[in-house]
Amino acid sequence: MEFKEVIGRRRSIRFFQPYRPVEREKIQIILEAARLASCSVNATFLRAIVVERDKLPRETLDALKTPVSATNLEMAPLHIYFYGDMGTVPRAKGQTLKQLVDVGALSSSQGWSHQFVENLVWPAILQPVYGNPATAGVPVAFDCGVAVCQALLAAFDEGLGACLSAFNVGIAKKVFDIPDDWLAIFALLVGYPAESWEAGGQRPRPPFEELYFEGKYGAPFERDESVVAKLTEAKMIQAPAPLPWRWDEIRALARAFGLPE
Amino acid sequence: MPIDRPIEEYRTVGVWFEDYKKQWAGRAEDLTSRLDILCRFCEFVGKDPDAIIQECLRASEGQTKISIKGRRFYDDKIREFQEGVEGDARLRVHWGNTVRSFLIHNGIFLQSGVQLG
Repeated sequence: MEFKEVIGRRRSIRFFQPYRPVEREKIQIILEAARLASCSVNATFLRAIVVERDKLPRETLDALKTPVSATNLEMAPLHIYFYGDMGTVPRAKGQTLKQLVDVGALSSSQGWSHQFVENLVWPAILQPVYGNPATAGVPVAFDCGVAVCQALLAAFDEGLGACLSAFNVGIAKKVFDIPDDWLAIFALLVGYPAESWEAGGQRPRPPFEELYFEGKYGAPFERDESVVAKLTEAKMIQAPAPLPWRWDEIRALARAFGLPE
Repeated sequence: MPIDRPIEEYRTVGVWFEDYKKQWAGRAEDLTSRLDILCRFCEFVGKDPDAIIQECLRASEGQTKISIKGRRFYDDKIREFQEGVEGDARLRVHWGNTVRSFLIHNGIFLQSGVQLG
């Protein structure tokens, strides 16, 4: 699938075919996509615990649910529990940046050297920020979000559906033996959609001009309609929700899965 | 008897009807036929519809919040009620989900989980 179409087709899928497992190859592709994401300090913070729902004891699955994620966790055959490893930078002490110098991604032509990392970046910047859980949380969570987004898009590119979901962090920590310095992010629920891939249409978003500015706050970045037309042709911008048949689809799904209306 | 007047006269039954109609718009079904199920649930728990919703809520710092204890209690009671219905699995699910629908449209978040019957 073309990149723009993958973005256009992504929806939070909340109805999965509960009986259809996800192929191991596709799981690996999702994880590979996450691994290649951009990350500050070249520190790969994201960690994942891959769990096949049917391998969880019933009582564990129930305990992992939150009030708002109960049905989703039950329907999705594959759960990927994402965490941010808060110890990544403190353990590396600048080594991940030095790697970038060694491979020519950071170079002296832009001021980078091992000495700079050792004498300034690590002690004066990285250690104070990443050595303190109060300040490390935001950058770690941000980078994890970037990587999870790549995983999410890869799932759609593979013809799967996916949805980010809350989970019971305390139970997961015990059940999956999570280290103390891992920050719980979200679970990516994955499976083959039981709803149509349109899932009722693209979700409502605020107007473009309310979100993005040019030069200064309050000066909207002007939206060019010819670009919108181009993106529509490329299937990145699609019909907005609700598609006319969405409520009939939800009713059919609710009845098929015994869910309330 | 927990119900001392026609069930449709209870405030929360009106809220259920209105909110359901609003969400399902042109696809809304007539819920009148499901009132009997709600009546039976009220008898089952010994409470009227307004009292059930009230027990799922609590006041905190001037705001109304969902009572975890109350919500859990009625979630369990619905399952119990559903299991006691005489008939096939489909009917049991329908009865349980009718009561869930009543709570959900009154703002009490509930998820039934998949019930393939």
